[in-house]
Amino acid sequence: MNKTRKPELAVIGAGPAGLGAALAASKAGLNDIMLIERDIELGGILPQCIHDGFGSIVFKEVLTGPQYAQRFIDEVERANVDVRLRTMVLEMTGDRRVTVVNDREGIIEIEPKSVVLAMGCRERTRHQVMLPGFRPAGVITAGAAQRDINIEGLMPGRKIVILGSGDIGLIMARRFVLEGAYVEGVYEIMDHPGGLTRNVVQCLNDFDIPLHLSHTATFIHGRKRVEAVSVARVDEDLKPIKETERRVPCDTLVLSVGLIPENELSKHAGVELDPVTGGPFVDERMETSVDGIFACGNVVNVFDLVDYVTHSAEVAGRGAAEYVLEGRKKEAPVRVVPGRNVKYVVPQYVSDLDRDIDFYFRVEHPERAVAARILADGRLLAGKKHRMVRPPEMIKQSASAVDFAGAGGAREITVEVVAGEEQA
Amino acid sequence: MMQQDKQSDLPRSAEVVVIGAGVSGCSVAREVVKYTPDVVILEKESDVSDATTKANNAEIHSGIGEKYGTLKQKLNVRGNRLYDEFVKDLGVDFQRHGLLIVITPRTLPESITGRLPGPVVNFLLERIVPRLILASAWRKGIKGQRILSREEIFRMEPHVTRNAVAGVFDPSYGMVAPYKLTIALAENAVQNGAKLFLNTEVTDIRVEDGRVRVVVTDRGEIETSLVVNAAGVFADEVADMAGAGGFRIHPRKGASLLFDRDVTRDYVRSSVSEFRMHGKVEKKSKGGGAMPTLEGNLQLGPTAIEGDDKYDTSISADEIQEIFDRFYYLLPGFPRAAMISAFSGIRAATEEEDFVIGASEGAHGFVNVAGIQSPGLASAPAIAEMVMGILHDLGIPRRRRDDYNPKRPAPPRFAELDNEERDRLIEEDPRYGHVICRCEYVTEAEAVNAIHAIIPATNMDAVKRRTRIGMGRCQGGFCHYRIAQILARELGVPVTEITKDGEGSWLFAGETKSFLKAER
Repeated sequence: MNKTRKPELAVIGAGPAGLGAALAASKAGLNDIMLIERDIELGGILPQCIHDGFGSIVFKEVLTGPQYAQRFIDEVERANVDVRLRTMVLEMTGDRRVTVVNDREGIIEIEPKSVVLAMGCRERTRHQVMLPGFRPAGVITAGAAQRDINIEGLMPGRKIVILGSGDIGLIMARRFVLEGAYVEGVYEIMDHPGGLTRNVVQCLNDFDIPLHLSHTATFIHGRKRVEAVSVARVDEDLKPIKETERRVPCDTLVLSVGLIPENELSKHAGVELDPVTGGPFVDERMETSVDGIFACGNVVNVFDLVDYVTHSAEVAGRGAAEYVLEGRKKEAPVRVVPGRNVKYVVPQYVSDLDRDIDFYFRVEHPERAVAARILADGRLLAGKKHRMVRPPEMIKQSASAVDFAGAGGAREITVEVVAGEEQA
Repeated sequence: MMQQDKQSDLPRSAEVVVIGAGVSGCSVAREVVKYTPDVVILEKESDVSDATTKANNAEIHSGIGEKYGTLKQKLNVRGNRLYDEFVKDLGVDFQRHGLLIVITPRTLPESITGRLPGPVVNFLLERIVPRLILASAWRKGIKGQRILSREEIFRMEPHVTRNAVAGVFDPSYGMVAPYKLTIALAENAVQNGAKLFLNTEVTDIRVEDGRVRVVVTDRGEIETSLVVNAAGVFADEVADMAGAGGFRIHPRKGASLLFDRDVTRDYVRSSVSEFRMHGKVEKKSKGGGAMPTLEGNLQLGPTAIEGDDKYDTSISADEIQEIFDRFYYLLPGFPRAAMISAFSGIRAATEEEDFVIGASEGAHGFVNVAGIQSPGLASAPAIAEMVMGILHDLGIPRRRRDDYNPKRPAPPRFAELDNEERDRLIEEDPRYGHVICRCEYVTEAEAVNAIHAIIPATNMDAVKRRTRIGMGRCQGGFCHYRIAQILARELGVPVTEITKDGEGSWLFAGETKSFLKAER
């Protein structure tokens, strides 16, 4: 049964990133694209995101997750992409040899001319936030709870405490209430919510679900099933204050404590990862440190909006097509450096200043009346004013080929956020 | 035959009744079936290996850490020697990866080092202490240990602290997954005629005329004249039922941390532990160490914390911190962010801190296998051998059965096969081509095999112990519902009845919309 396929492009993962990349590559002229997905359907995590808020940038309308996904799925079906569902990638090497398996064809060896990594991210678990206590049933991550309710039709619990105010946690608070469950409250260790403001308003405030900022869970009670969770206020060092500890009876603890780009395959292929984002270092074409391996979406860094995932996917898909069709040679890349109040920037490198580039970045702390600026060796290239910037929200700052004119030979590009008076 | 559900009847009588399906009980049961098939194993939890055994840190010690002359020390040394033979037919991984004992400036207590000049302390640490360890091993009958210089330590284990002064390597240390071993032992016992009853709690033992007569459970009685008490942390209570006690089990908790193997593979290659000659903790437990699991995860621990609750398998923030603090010295800069799991178990320690193995004088036919704390896993083959000797004296024939089958069939593990073997399996059964656990690469076929094995896995944790589904970095986030659905399908029950770990550990409160209907 030795089967070897040699497509022009193998896209790993068929969520919004993989779908977008496969389509963009097809539009850019590739005819032999394999799209590999381990789940039973296309769309990745979108089919379980039945709330709305998707597509305001890409489609200029507000869609639900399944609707957003379907638009791409329909196009992919028309685009003659070779889709492999229920197919798991077992291994990928640095010279782009990909081994996959499914239950119809067994092991398939794929030797694509290019690869786009689009595996998305996974949720942090209780142990990754060092949550002490027993290990009963009833401790579940928010995305897993979302899958249970919205796809599998199963309620993971009745009386819910939510730890962490990431977007999925907020959305699930509302979802549980709509299903007739009781949500006691949402506890957030930071002094500001982890998710978008609109989700705090629409999912908590509108449903009278209390949000306890500067609070964390300190202990999980219950030997067989969760019986209660101890919570406490935290001090400035985020350490629980013993005297404020109280026991909240519940049968379920839902965790929304962060997402981690899923890069096990990337690491095995020797792709270099950025310790800050947890995703590969990429350049303006979303190419990783390994020739011909591109990456996009949440595998690169956890985006806040699916629209941005799609944008990055289009860049990666076009980049892969360009690589296959033109055999582009890599120029010495310029490092993109996070400046004042910038936690990280994607892309981390720029090899070709002769094109429009979107820089995505997050701030380190909230700030009012600022300007986001892009500089090459200290010279201002582009910028924009912002009334308010907050860590959960991704900032996109574009710089066009025109902006870059004269920046050739730059040694370093800096992205910074400065007080508003300094003109952008 | 294996019986599970509450309704099925216990046999009216049995030649031997083993109470407790941990590693001790199952080792004994497997030994007994070599001579007679008429064995009943009673377990109050929903799976074998479901209490102290499952949280054991998997090391097969050499016995170097045990006090000379104790029963534990003797059985540990003998058990270690028997291990290869013990696991041979069980289809269980066992590796001798060795133990590196690291001597550091903290090895000697300050009461000694504070009073001596530096060069003398150094001489003691470098020259004397390693030889003391060797002498102690020699006296206990442990062979093959060798002294290592600093450079040799770093060559062997590059992440060990540069404060290391010298070391001793003990090649006989090994590693076996305690729950996989116990499942295999129990399955082999059942293959050979033993009957296992899960979810069955012993409530009384009737003794007449100084002889054991009846074991009473929450689902019926069994007449028997031989009872093996391997009830772990409850062994004292079970012994008291027969008037065969006189010892107390005090629970001592041990917590371990587990790290992502993708990050920590080969972080240590052998068990590594720092040698400390002071401190009360070290006297009661071997103080724990850093070790690679058979799958390549770094594991740290266990701790040793006295408690009074035999069910308290929780872990406190202080315990996690304690482990971090301890290992920061031995392995500075270990990747703490890669921690994927923490677990704890209860050691069944007696006041005397030794095993209590022997026939009761007050209740003829009652055999205690109690106080089996670490190194109980390492001692298991020797414990089984010793208990069998006692049972022979109590009347079990010494002649081996001709029809005893030592080979326990081990189902294939997709992750460990090469691609040709995988293809062959998928052609036979396409479910081997359906990977359902993305972190550990476990297929649907393996889950189904576990559910229909000699001892069926009937809940999520039972499937997890047999297949590794859910043991990876996502901790079941992506696959829990699929395993629940496969369990429901294979067992023919609604998915809402599937549990994590037996009664009370429900996973789903109902189907969606069911709460809303109830309200109307």
